[in-house]
Order: sequence, then C-alpha cells, then structure tokens
Amino acid sequence: MQPETPAVRELISTEKNYQSAEVWTKVTGKAIYGIDLRLPGMLYGKILRSSHPHARIKKIKTSAALKMPGVRTVLTGSDLSCSPYGIVINDEMPLEPEHVRYVGDEVAAVAAVDDKKAEEALKLIHVEYETLPAVFDTGEAQLPEAPQLHENFPGNVAWRREVVRGDPESAFRNADLVVEGKFHIPQFHPAYLEPVACVAVSEPDGGITLHTAVQSPDIVRDLLAQVLKLPLSRVRIVGPVMGGGFGGKVYGNLNLYLISALLSMQTGLPVKMQLTREEEFTAGRPMVAAEIKMRMALGNDGTFLGREMDLITDNGAYSAQAPWVSNTLAERNDSVYRIPAIKTKARLVYTNKVPTGQYRAYGNQVANFACESLIDMAAKKLKIDPLEMRLRNCVRPGETTVHGLQIKSCGLAECLAAATEEIGWTKRKKGHGYGLSAAIHASGSVVFDPNLRGASARISLELDGNISLFTGEQDYGQGTHAAFSQIAAIALDLEPSRISVYSKDSLVTPYSMGALGMRQATIGGKAVQLAAEKLREKIIRTSSEMIGEPVIMENGRIRSASGRQVDFTEIAHYYHGQTSGLTLTGEGSYVPPESSYDDTKYGNIAVTYSFAAHAAEVEIDPETGALTVHRIVAAHDSGRIINHLSASGQIYGGVAQGFGMSCLEGYLFNEGRVANPTLADYKIPTALDVPDITPLFIETDDPEGPYGAKGLGEIVQVPVPGALANAVADAAGGWVTEMPITAEKIFRILSNRGAAK
Amino acid sequence: MSYFTAASLDEALNVLREAKGKALIIAGATDLFLKGMPSQAVDIASLPELGMIVEEQDYLSVGAAVTHAAAASSPLIMVKAAALAEACAAVGSPQVRNLGTIGGNLVNAAPAADAAVALAALGAKAVLCDIDGRRRVEELGNLYAGYNQSRIDSSREIVLNLIFKTCQFNEGSAFARFASRRALSLPMVNVAARVGLENGVFAEVRLVAAPVKPAPTRLFKTEEALLGKEPNEETRQMVEELASAEVKVRGSLLRCSADYRRHLIGVLAGRVLMAAVRRVQDKEES
Ligand SMILES: Cc1cc2nc3c(=O)[nH]c(=O)nc-3n(C[C@H](O)[C@H](O)[C@H](O)COP(=O)(O)OP(=O)(O)OC[C@H]3O[C@@H](n4cnc5c(N)ncnc54)[C@H](O)[C@@H]3O)c2cc1C
Repeated sequence: MQPETPAVRELISTEKNYQSAEVWTKVTGKAIYGIDLRLPGMLYGKILRSSHPHARIKKIKTSAALKMPGVRTVLTGSDLSCSPYGIVINDEMPLEPEHVRYVGDEVAAVAAVDDKKAEEALKLIHVEYETLPAVFDTGEAQLPEAPQLHENFPGNVAWRREVVRGDPESAFRNADLVVEGKFHIPQFHPAYLEPVACVAVSEPDGGITLHTAVQSPDIVRDLLAQVLKLPLSRVRIVGPVMGGGFGGKVYGNLNLYLISALLSMQTGLPVKMQLTREEEFTAGRPMVAAEIKMRMALGNDGTFLGREMDLITDNGAYSAQAPWVSNTLAERNDSVYRIPAIKTKARLVYTNKVPTGQYRAYGNQVANFACESLIDMAAKKLKIDPLEMRLRNCVRPGETTVHGLQIKSCGLAECLAAATEEIGWTKRKKGHGYGLSAAIHASGSVVFDPNLRGASARISLELDGNISLFTGEQDYGQGTHAAFSQIAAIALDLEPSRISVYSKDSLVTPYSMGALGMRQATIGGKAVQLAAEKLREKIIRTSSEMIGEPVIMENGRIRSASGRQVDFTEIAHYYHGQTSGLTLTGEGSYVPPESSYDDTKYGNIAVTYSFAAHAAEVEIDPETGALTVHRIVAAHDSGRIINHLSASGQIYGGVAQGFGMSCLEGYLFNEGRVANPTLADYKIPTALDVPDITPLFIETDDPEGPYGAKGLGEIVQVPVPGALANAVADAAGGWVTEMPITAEKIFRILSNRGAAK
Repeated sequence: MSYFTAASLDEALNVLREAKGKALIIAGATDLFLKGMPSQAVDIASLPELGMIVEEQDYLSVGAAVTHAAAASSPLIMVKAAALAEACAAVGSPQVRNLGTIGGNLVNAAPAADAAVALAALGAKAVLCDIDGRRRVEELGNLYAGYNQSRIDSSREIVLNLIFKTCQFNEGSAFARFASRRALSLPMVNVAARVGLENGVFAEVRLVAAPVKPAPTRLFKTEEALLGKEPNEETRQMVEELASAEVKVRGSLLRCSADYRRHLIGVLAGRVLMAAVRRVQDKEES
C-alpha cells in the first residue's frame, strides 16, 4: 500500500489535469518536429526501392546519377561493410546487396543538394534484376516447393513456439461444449501524422549524431553503433518533437537511420531523410498479420476448461519485432481468465511482402478479436449472459495465471460491472447490438532485456530553486512527462510546473528501454519517485547543515523547529558555493525483481498488470449491413490515475484507433504490392466516424507502481476489436471473423442467415 | 508556372486563346492539384457570372464555379433540386467542399462524382463557351470520353453553368451514396432520382446510378417499369430488384465486390425514389 500523505491527496484532487509546457507548443503550431529540421549545408537523401517482390540484383549502374549536378553521393548495398542486423533476428541490411525480397526493399540511396534532385537522380540509377518466383501466402510459403527468402530459414519459418500448460487433452475430452473459429487479421499501420524523418550528422570525431523522434532512442543508438561499427559513446540521438508514434516508432525506421548516417559519413555533411506517406505504408513496419485457428472447451455452467490456438503470423520479408508481437499475440489473452489448460502452436512465416513490426499493444488487441468472439459464441450456445460468463471466469487479485503471471492489483471484475452498467447492458435499446470484451496487458515488462529491467532518473535542484528532471523515457503525447512532474512534485512537495523534464538527448539522459510495453509510467515513474525522494533527503540534510538546526520540508519550503525558513534558491546557492558549482542531485534507479521465466517461458513477466473491459453499442442497417457504432464504454484498471486529462486522452485516442482497425483499416495486396498505400485508400476514422467514447477508471492501488499507478497507453486499444465483434454479432446474429468488420462482410452474414432485408 | 486570376469571362477566354492550348482552366484545384498543376493556370473561381445560382421561370441555372459548400447550403437548390444539395453536402470534407466546384466535378469526369450524378438525374444540361466566344448547350452524357476523361478541353472551353428544370409542385428529387467512411471517402455507389407524380402514380422518373459506366448511368428499364405505378412498399421492392438487375458493375479490391455493389445500387435506388416521392407528398401536405 502507498502512504496517503497530504501531498498525494492534494495532487489527486487538484493536479489531475496538469499539462506540460510542450503541449502548448503543439496546439499553437510552434513545436519543431523531425520533418521541420534544417541544418546548414544539409543534403537530402532518397532511397531507390525494389519494384519486384522477389529478385536478384545482377548489376547496378550509378554513374549517370553520380554525374548529375547537385548529386553528392550514391550508395548501393555492395558499398556497405556491415553485416545483417535485426531487432530479434539478424535478417536485414540497410541496402540489400544482391537479393531483394519485397516491393519497397532498399536497393540504393542518393544524397543531393535538394529533395527534387535526389528524387531525379534515383531515376538515373539502372538496376538489372533477375526476377525470382515470389510467395505471398503464409500457407504456400511453408510448402517444400516454395521459394526460400532467407538461407537460414528453411520452410520460411522465422520463429516458432509451442506451449502446453495443464492438460489440454483431458480438458477437451471432458468438455460439455467445444467451440471453434478461424480468424483473419490483416496488417495495420498506426498512420501517425508525421512520417519517420531524421537528420544524420557525421561528427568530426567519426561519430554520428542522429536527430530523430523515436520511442526508444537508446536502443536505436545501440543498433546504430553495432551496425556502423562505431563506439557507443560516439553515437548520439537527439529528439525533436514526435508527430505521433503509437508503438510504430519504437525503433523509428532503422534502415532510414542507417542510410542517412552512411550518406552523411560519406559526404561529411548532414543528411536529411524522411519517408513519404506511401513509403510509410509500403516500406514501414506495420503490425504483423495473423491467421488464428482456435478451439475452446467449456463446462455446461460456462466454466472455461481449456483453449487451443494454432497461429500463423505473416512476417513479410524481414522480421523487425514480429517474433515478439507473435508471442504476445499467441499468449497474452490466456491470462484474462482462469483457463487451466492451454495448447498453443505459433509460427511466424516469411513472405514477399512488406516487413512487419509492432503497433500499440503487440498483437494483444487482434488476438482479443478472436478470443473474445469465441467466448461469446460459447455464451450463446450455453445460453449464458456474456457478462455472467466473463465474471465467472475472470482473473482476480492475488492469482497466478496459466502462464505464471502474478496478479497483484486487479479490478477486472469491477471493470466488467462498470462498463456494462454504463452502457445499459440490462436496459437495451431495441434493434441495437451490445458487445463486451475484457483484457489484460503487461505493465512494465521485465523480459525485453533481462539485464535492463528497470529504469533510472536524475533530478537536480537548479540555482533558481526550480527542478530539472532527466529521464530516458519518451513523451510523444501520452502525457508521460506531465505525470513525471507530478510524481516528483509529490515527493518534493511543490507544484508540478516547477519541474522541467528533459529526455531528448542520449548524451545527457539516463539510458532507457523507452516507450514500449506500458513501462514508462510504472517503471520510469517509479525511478522518478525514488530519485525525487533522494533529492528531498539531500535538500533536507544540506539545509540543516546550512542553518545548523534540524528542518522539515513542506510546500516547497524548508522550516526549522525554531521557525527559520529557507527556500530552495537559498539552499541551491549554498550547495553551489560549497561544491564550486555542483547542483544537489538525486539519482533513482528502480530495479524490478527478475522474471521467473522458465524454459517454457512460464513465469512472471512484468512489474504489474493493467486490466480493462469495454462495452460497445452498435446498430446495423439490415438492407446494406452498414454499421453505426453508437458508443464504446471503456472501463480501465490502470491503478491510481495520476493525470485524468492525459489518461482520458489515451482512452479517446486508443479506442478511436481500435475502432479504425476493427471496422475500417487493414492492408490490401495485389501480387504482394500494397494496394492501398495512401490515406485516401487506407481508411482511418475521421471525426465523423469515431463513436461516443466514455472513459471509466476503476482505481486500484497497485503496490508496485509509483503512488499506486499502472500503465494505460497500450491496453486502451486491446478490448475494442472483441467488443465490436461481439456487438455486431449481437445485432447481426453471427460473427464477422475477418478484420476489418465491413458493411459488406456484415451483409454476407445477414444474407447467409436469411436475415437481410 | 504562371497563374492568372481572371477578372472577367472575356479576360479568361483571351488568355486561353493566346496561350494556344498551353493554359488550363482552374477552379477549386481540388482535382488538378492532385493530378499536377498546369504550367499556365487561368483561375475562374471568382468570376461573378460563374458563381451565381439563379432561378428563371421554371429553370435553375447553377454557375460552374459554385462550390459544393455553396450549393449544399443554397435554399433555392435545397428546395428546387434537393438531390444536388444532398450530393454536394456528401463530397469529401468541409475543406474540399469549400474549394471544389460543380463545374470541376463534371469536367474531372470521375465515374461516381457526386454532383454529376445528381445533375444527371435532374436532367441538367451544360452551357459551354469556347475561346472564340461560341456557346453551345450539351447533355451531360455527351461530355464523357471515357473513365475519368471529359470531352471538354479545358484549354479552350469553359463550362459556364448548368441548367435544369426546377422541381415543380408534383416533382421531387433525392440523392444517396454508400461509402466505407463518413467523410473523405469516394462512394462505392451513388444513386439519384427525380420523380414526377400525377394522380398518385409515377408519371415521370429519372433514375441515375454510378459507378456503372464512365458517365452517370440512367436505369431506363427501371424507370419505365415505374410509370403508372403507385409509390408504395411493393414498388420500392420492385425497384430494388429491377435496378440491381439492370446494372452491370465491376468489383474492386479497394471498395467492394461486384455483387455487393449491384445489391447496393438496388437498395439505394429504392431509397432515393421513396425519398423523392416523400418530398412531393410533403409539398402536397403543407
Ligand atoms: C480529398 C478529396 C476528396 C474528394 N471527395 C470527393 C467526393 O466525395 N465526391 C466527389 O464527387 N468528388 C470528390 N473529390 C473530387 C473533387 O473535389 C471534385 O471533383 C471537385 O468538384 C472538383 O472541382 P474543382 O473546382 O476543385 O476542380 P479543379 O481541380 O479546379 O479542376 C478539375 C478539372 O476541371 C477543369 N475545370 C474546372 N472548372 C472548369 C470549367 N468551369 N470549365 C472547364 N473546365 C473546368 C480543370 O481544368 C480541371 O481539368 C474529392 C477530392 C479530394 C481532393
């Protein structure tokens, strides 16, 4: 339990909506994004991409491009001395020297004095290809006669996993009911407003400074150093403001970064590169696509007995984070409920399509589509209310789930009750469909890098009595930094606006895993709390040394028993003088317990877990299948809410995105080529499409998170696909098992049931 | 690139004539900007004579440079040509409607351009003027050379206005579209109708659907079957069946299958007919 000090009460009553100064720069158009950056003498880089889904490069002629006025350099794969690299699997090169594997693969790059000339020069590069047979379907890719994309991966299987927990065989043998389904999920792109952009600066000492807005700058820094064979201390990442990331910019676009760095090293000048919207869609890293076959065993009373999943994820040509996403997709939903027996088989398969990565919730949200649909299919067969069924089975505080996750605080049952109450579960409008879905998401994963599970922060008292906080945790709109100011403000007993947060220069900020896995508020925030508490101690100690009396600290002021007052400015100057220029600094590091993973990956994987239940209300036009989503109620247990405005913002945005992927979005392909690589054809919701969204907070008090807080940013999207699938099924009488849930697919269900009018 | 904002029609024609085919008319530029701006542009968006909506006796004249926003909110169009107001209100987004014009919509010649479909149902004719000052009046159907290709050569000819008979006391019109998103979404189908009732039965029907052919397509068989019929649920169902049977459509990966598109044309045909009838009945009742 967290002590409920007056400061905590005060904060939670008055500072719920505190926003940092950066927010206003965005609203007023003054924020400087990566796309805005210009440095003196800067060149512009462009990439020549493969126009074939699968081919060998026989010859590349660059002489004409090199001769073009304004062109400074041209690079091809054969100029590179680096080895294949990757985030999980080393299967990728910044420029492919001889083998291209998708339409969009990087073949050559140009740096020129302006954008247009760079673009023009690409047309002067002549590439001779020998086309190879290509494979676009994950099933065909696994056949013996299929073309092989990567030498070391026979059968095109990049990653596989098989898990058995409990006794699935007897679970299915003894089941009163077995339901099964097959679900199809396409690639989704977060469609952030600002395409990935960067400026690479080759430094006189041989190092590289990369200006780019990325969610995990320190990991990008490690990778750049590794691939470019530079000492780590010579690579520096400086971040402008980010125009949206949503998990799609955890590592930005590594090939773009590497190419701009190489072009800059070659020319000695800064090189700016940015993806076009089309490149974002065709050569970015959308979330993996999945085919899920699933069976579930239940007792007559609705008790879950077991679940089996056969998962095939579509990697595309290279792996990025797809193995991690596939893993979360395969197993996270198993821990929402008490399911004693699990059997999962997962394969990640290479195809000649755009490589895939991660978006917001690591696949948990699309697995939710399948798992929660299946639960409602069972509820319908057993004639049990879907709410009853979920309450009967949902995980509770203090339990250990089937994969070994140790649940501490958990308000899932309360979320289910609150969401259904608010949507009018028992007072339904005639002709409307209602759907429910539940979710768990790890907050503060400790398994990404077992050697770097936690976070650290440094906090200093400046000479003017204000506070500077240095953290590697990134804020690109989630409100992380406002929350950090608030957390430090509690520890230091002063207003959050007096605490400035710096995170954008890897040279001076503590190393961090960055914005992923809902770790920042929980793990990063905890480090901030610890650092601020240390600073507080130091301030008190130094004050009493200065005035020779014991002191206490309150409301940003320091007072002795005799009534002597000292303010922060005085104490800062005193320490400055005593140490010839140092500032009082607190360093905090939070190191969560190690994961208890065993060989089968059974064990606790995160500091804590957040929960959510969403309820959706929809209406269907029986003549066309057109869907109107009236409302989504999003009930969340993210522990104590530090900032209500930011937290609600996360829910509005995440649910809107969840609605988009559920009902509108998804990649379409034509012979491996992305058929909808524009915002006109890849349809994200407009303001008119987004349903009414009601955030509800079930505030549990988490024993681990700072002042009881848990993560929220990813889980906001997770229950949306399941809730919508179930609401549509309630209205249409059958499930659309292929995302997105379009009018045409709903109409097909109505027609098959003979219910279409 | 040179950009000339014409102050009068004569001036615009003069510049076009002197440029000898190198200059192009530009109105809202919502289409041209995407296609690529011409090296010489003659902006006619602010010519007063092209921006007017005027009723003359039983006819309505809508200037080619009238924006979608202006048409959608014009009381005259809302009352006397409701289908056009509905179509213009459905175009793109507020930004696109504030810039995009009815003339541009027609000349751009997209197969399912919203305003063009409504105009076709209303029976509109285009008044054109070439660089030699010669005027002609054309049926809309004659202005299409193919998919996304107009017969109008905007380097030597200007659409001045669209003219059609206003909906009389016994007449009504309506427009409907179906798209995957509520804004900024080209329609999977759009359908418009103009009906005239006499003694409670259909005396005149123009029913237009798109995308079926390069130009908005009249569903003659369905129209004919309606004459003499009472507008009721049975008739609506008949229209639904006839209309979807009458059209030959294509499916597309990006929008929908051919079957579904055909089905939607049927449903929307039934709906616009009934909506147009309701407009007549509302007039009769008030
Ligand atoms: C984001 C977006 C969404 C859109 N959504 C829709 C939609 O939902 N429905 C829809 O129907 N359309 C839509 N459009 C298309 C477009 O907005 C319309 O076709 C618009 O009406 C075009 O008018 P304009 O004035 O902008 O034409 P311009 O771009 O200025 O011109 C288009 C063409 O017409 C010629 N031209 C223009 N005026 C005349 C004239 N008076 N005489 C001779 N030639 C002329 C030009 O030379 C040019 O070749 C959309 C466009 C965009 C960019």
